[in-house]
Amino acid sequence: MQLRVNFSSGVPIYVQLMEQIKHAVETGAVRTGEQLPTIRKVAEDLAMNPNTVARAYRELEREGVIEVRHGSGAFVAVVEAGPKSVAIAEASKGFRNAIEAGATLGLTEPELRRVFEQELSRITGE
Amino acid sequence: MLWFKAWLETRWRFAFIAGTMLFAWAAPLWAPLFHLRTPPGVSDSRLWMAVHLASIFLYIFAAIYLAGSGINSQTTYSATSGFHPSMLFTLSLPVSRRRLLFVRAGLGALQTGILVAIMAAYTVFQRPGGTTAPQFLVYLARAMVCTMVVYALSTLLACLLDEMWQFYSGFLCCIAAFVLQFRVSLVSWLSPLRGMSLISYPIGGPVPWAPVISSLLLTAGLMYASMLIVQRKEY
Amino acid sequence: MNQAAIETHGLSKSFGDIAALRGLELNVPRGSIYGFLGRNGAGKTTTIKLLLGMLRPDAGRFSLFGEAVDSEASSVAARRRIGFVSEGKELYNFMTVGQMIKFTRPFFPGWRRELEEKYLELFRLPRAKSLPKLSKGMCTQLMLLLAMARGAELLVMDEPTSGLDPAMTEDILQALADLAADEGVSVFFSSHQLAEVEQICDSVCILDEGQVVIDGVLDDLKSQYRRILAVFKSEPPDSLAALPGVDHLRQRGRTASLLAHMDVDAVVERIRELGAISVEVRPVTLKELFLDHVRGE
Repeated sequence: MQLRVNFSSGVPIYVQLMEQIKHAVETGAVRTGEQLPTIRKVAEDLAMNPNTVARAYRELEREGVIEVRHGSGAFVAVVEAGPKSVAIAEASKGFRNAIEAGATLGLTEPELRRVFEQELSRITGE
Repeated sequence: MLWFKAWLETRWRFAFIAGTMLFAWAAPLWAPLFHLRTPPGVSDSRLWMAVHLASIFLYIFAAIYLAGSGINSQTTYSATSGFHPSMLFTLSLPVSRRRLLFVRAGLGALQTGILVAIMAAYTVFQRPGGTTAPQFLVYLARAMVCTMVVYALSTLLACLLDEMWQFYSGFLCCIAAFVLQFRVSLVSWLSPLRGMSLISYPIGGPVPWAPVISSLLLTAGLMYASMLIVQRKEY
Repeated sequence: MNQAAIETHGLSKSFGDIAALRGLELNVPRGSIYGFLGRNGAGKTTTIKLLLGMLRPDAGRFSLFGEAVDSEASSVAARRRIGFVSEGKELYNFMTVGQMIKFTRPFFPGWRRELEEKYLELFRLPRAKSLPKLSKGMCTQLMLLLAMARGAELLVMDEPTSGLDPAMTEDILQALADLAADEGVSVFFSSHQLAEVEQICDSVCILDEGQVVIDGVLDDLKSQYRRILAVFKSEPPDSLAALPGVDHLRQRGRTASLLAHMDVDAVVERIRELGAISVEVRPVTLKELFLDHVRGE
């Protein structure tokens, strides 16, 4: 599991970590029961704040995505392939296609993001 | 380790003055090489007085030179800030300011004492008429105590002024004291400069209690004032 | 028992006419890596000097590790647990690297030899090299080594990464992450490098003209604040600025740009009610938060 964080983004870092770990779990990049890297290792590898990593792990535990066994570390919890994860996998494909199409048209990352936010607020606003 | 730091800060100054003194001490050895002799008509005792006065000057020079640097700065940093930025590192250490002052001042005082001893030995044992060891020790004690006033004054000046000004103002104060002691009898009675001198108070004569006591009191007072300044200073 | 590493109340300091700090209220939690941001002259260095006893406050009080620091004795006691890196990174230029370490070590009974060795090797600092021969970057690294190896519970640093190249900077950030993870060391540092602050800090505080204008957990600030861009048919109405939850407002032509925190949806509703023809909501970066709060309206 290769974690990458955009520190300058407006998206909170712990949220980014959570999303990436959840995505890894849902796509099977990490399997059920597999041990996640320690908070310390993640913080060291990314040269980032361990408290933030800890927060991400805490929230993931609260959501039931991982379980923290005292003394051993964090492990991926048993995940039922429920409708949500299937839906997420499907939607991911759609987003991937849209992003690729936008990139082909020459849009940059901030521009793609802006388009996404606009469409999202248009839909949720109505 | 503060002693080690103080030593590193002052060793070249100490070496310079010690070197000068040893060079002077060795004069009988190198003077003939340059065909230097006492000018005719100058008696031994006149020569000795000149050497003695020069040695007093060296006591004062040593005291002023060794008291500068370290409290305020290693070298003058800038006209405005008045202290070397490495002072911030020193101040961040878990050491009281009083301790910082007294270690630095203590080492400088020790070095000054050693130099006074060298120079005093040189002049006293060359005195026409000879000097016994006890007489030398009595003189040494009063020379050191009186020189310490100059040292304490220089330390106080070092806490207030940057290095160059400390140096010059130290000498100015000594010159002022020297002039005053001829005009004001109280100053003359108490003057540490006279206390160092074998001309004012010759060997075998009465012990100059007044200058010695005033020197002890002045030294204590000046060091206390230095401590207060260092404790209140803002960096 | 979780006292703050640093806590200040109403800390004020003036230099002649200039008020450098005006009632500073700070709370740096234990174990956090806290970024202290502000423009030049905002009062960051003054704050650090006050905390370490180099300056005396005109008003206010502060405590370190939960103990009030109001005398020289309490300041000395606190400094036993603190590692400091000054802005100028100046050390004794009559010493060598090795001598600097030997000098500093005895002051701290908790000195960590293994960290000393580790950082000497990582930073490639030769013990025999005299300080005037070190580059600015290496001086910084030495000073960081001296601060980190002493086993301090709190690191107070004034622009620790200024003058360092990106590789050195990454080494330092990694070392800080390590210390925070390992020992729960608290770190408090001032910086201009927003990118590094975003990378390593969990909490930040923005200082402007001697006062705190924003502070909190960085991730929470990013969650709460949003940039709203609203386009109107003609001039944006004046009542926009008075909307609750709106922090800063800038207008250019028909577009208004605002910074809103808390209950952004309600703000968006109100803006639509005021007649906006398009409303766009975007996340906010630390740079935007910083610039908006220190450049004034």
